[in-house]
Amino acid sequence: MISPPKKDNVFRALDRKLGAVAEFTMRQYRTKLSTWVVMGVGFIAIAIIVLFYVDSMQQEIEAIDNDGDSMDWDGDGYPTGQERIYGTDPDNPDSNPGTFTPPIAPDPPEKWINEDDFDWDLSATSDTTAGYDDDGDCRLSDTTESQKDRNRNNVNCDIILDYSEIRGEWNDIHSDGFVDEDPDEEKYSKEAIHRAFLLAIGKMGFVFLLGIFLPLFLATGLIREEMENSTMHFMIAKPIARRDIFLGRVVGYLGIVWPYVIAMGIIVGLISGFAGPSDGFFRFADLGMWMAIIFATMMATLVYGMLFCALGTLWKRGIVLALPFAAWELGMAIVSFNAPSASILRFSVIGWSLNIIDAASLIVWPNLGLFIEMGLWGGGHNSNFWGSELEGSGALSVFASDTGLGISPIATIAVSTFVLLFQAIILWVIGSAVFKGKEIE
Amino acid sequence: MMPDMQQVGQAQTQQWAPKINAPVVLLENVSKTYGKIHALSEITLALSGGVTGILGMNGAGKSTLFNMLMGKLKPSSGSIKLFGTDPWKNPAPYARIGFVPEHEKMHDWMTAHGFVSLFARLNGLTRDEAKVEADRVLDFVGLTDVAHKQIGRYSKGMRQRVKIAHALVNDPDLIVLDEPLQGCDPLARTTIMNVIRELGKMGRTVLVSSHILHEIERITEQIVILHNGRLLALGNLHAIREKMDNIPHTISIGCENPKELAKDIINNNAVYGISFPRSDNLQVQTHNLNEVHRELPSLIVENGHIVNSIDNPDDDLESILNYLTGGFV
Repeated sequence: MISPPKKDNVFRALDRKLGAVAEFTMRQYRTKLSTWVVMGVGFIAIAIIVLFYVDSMQQEIEAIDNDGDSMDWDGDGYPTGQERIYGTDPDNPDSNPGTFTPPIAPDPPEKWINEDDFDWDLSATSDTTAGYDDDGDCRLSDTTESQKDRNRNNVNCDIILDYSEIRGEWNDIHSDGFVDEDPDEEKYSKEAIHRAFLLAIGKMGFVFLLGIFLPLFLATGLIREEMENSTMHFMIAKPIARRDIFLGRVVGYLGIVWPYVIAMGIIVGLISGFAGPSDGFFRFADLGMWMAIIFATMMATLVYGMLFCALGTLWKRGIVLALPFAAWELGMAIVSFNAPSASILRFSVIGWSLNIIDAASLIVWPNLGLFIEMGLWGGGHNSNFWGSELEGSGALSVFASDTGLGISPIATIAVSTFVLLFQAIILWVIGSAVFKGKEIE
Repeated sequence: MMPDMQQVGQAQTQQWAPKINAPVVLLENVSKTYGKIHALSEITLALSGGVTGILGMNGAGKSTLFNMLMGKLKPSSGSIKLFGTDPWKNPAPYARIGFVPEHEKMHDWMTAHGFVSLFARLNGLTRDEAKVEADRVLDFVGLTDVAHKQIGRYSKGMRQRVKIAHALVNDPDLIVLDEPLQGCDPLARTTIMNVIRELGKMGRTVLVSSHILHEIERITEQIVILHNGRLLALGNLHAIREKMDNIPHTISIGCENPKELAKDIINNNAVYGISFPRSDNLQVQTHNLNEVHRELPSLIVENGHIVNSIDNPDDDLESILNYLTGGFV
């Protein structure tokens, strides 16, 4: 008889019972067709979202002349913006810079599209002023001093960014008018759409879709299927506590699901890194976001795995019990977009998982809040004029949200991770207790 | 709630050890009820050493008994002790126990060696120890040649032997086999019976269940008879048989000329009746089975009868049960 040695290190010990159950589970799931079907469906779902993203990155975003100064109203060949700078009358064809000595050649109209881009310091975290009148139509126009200082801060041609300390968000943007009024739509929108995509696919694609549906189909049967197939005997009639069987099964399931989540994250991360807007060939800056998305999804699959495995152990039709949870979590995901600090989110798994992504988005893009406000302001035009908000800013404002805990992003990640681990351990204890009391025919 | 790093089945600080002088299997007033149905009632039993056959018709409670021994079911009342420990509360005794379940379902996608060595690790062996142990037990049941084939491609007898091999890992003191011969071909039966007998000779405690008497008879004489959830008899099979010799028995003889044979047999004192159910068949009623069986061969040879078969149609579990219950089966 081979007797186990007295002294064990952790690795030798893990090589035994718990490791054996986990290894068995991984090998069992690898041979199951259903595992590959579930993962394949997950891959297709994510791939479809990615295709939409890649398509939108390829599309040209139409440059809009928001202030209309590329137009040549009087037909003298000089765009309105150019005429304004030189002080000639844009409505009089006989008054133009061509009559000067020496005559000034007319600008091509494209020069006066997107000619007054944002000049903002996005690192601002309190009331501040921003903006520079690139095309000079505020500084040089023949308006009165009070018209040049419509926001009444005694500085001509600037923008006040009004930050509310109480609410922790940007109240409003007060512009003197004709300052940063004709931004570069393509530059802003590509960045905004890219960020919105990362948040959307991270929250809905990874944490919600993969995070709930992988456990729903893979973890619910971890204990139940062995009981139904009468193959549980081989594990039960062994000197191993049932809670260790439970844990080993979940660890084995994670051994399948986590590599899958990591692989999916790397694939989509690479695609978006190459397709997204960047100065170089690859957006290395998003690395932190992808780490957070992968980590949040791994935590979600851990907690839901424990939960659904326990529900499957509890009842033969555990999936029926699991579906209301999935619905509840979808509701909580939607709540978290609109009211990230709602206390009801504390009673969900997804609320804490999404916190990790939101916190990471604030670390990776520290200017995110102001960046969104900038796009929504979009040069200060309203929809009655050429354009209102810039494309992508609306979507970004939906998918981005505060962490809701009112603490720093790093602390939010730490607290959320701790809470999720705590949830997983509680569910392990509950699941093992259910399993322990279960009679197996 | 830490994982079981100490490999003793429970998160406890000291190594589990069997209680000294405790019987290997001890059941005290064990009952199992499902609502109003009594699957087992008031079973008291102590077993240590040797091969014991658990006999009973289908539904007599054999599997319920085994499932309780294996910690799958909790007794409704009474106590079960394996090596002095309650297996429902602490699975540690299973380090010394091997179990061969009745169910045919196995992990068909695994090889026999993979299956045995992986589940050996649940006994607390490391990966390397488990591989060596798997080689040993698969050799013991004679499956070395096919050890690396998938279980799904095995015949029924081979599958049964894989289950037995998996139960023999770590050289257990108690081996429990639930209907190990069911559905096996004659060759596999013989192999499995030999394995069980050998384990008995090695001094292990072996529990074998069956609903077929002559299977058990070829393995062991020590039997426990369960009927309708009750413990009907416990002891030596031959002692039970001998008691039965004094009650009426029927011997069925298949021969070419039953009438001629009947004339010679009726002279025997122990015979009190003869009937002819078919033209090539003769039934003899006796109250002393041994004497008739002693006389019959010489009688047939001396008178030159041509006999095709001699059977005791009621010499099976049913007749024993009939006898033990006084006919209230």
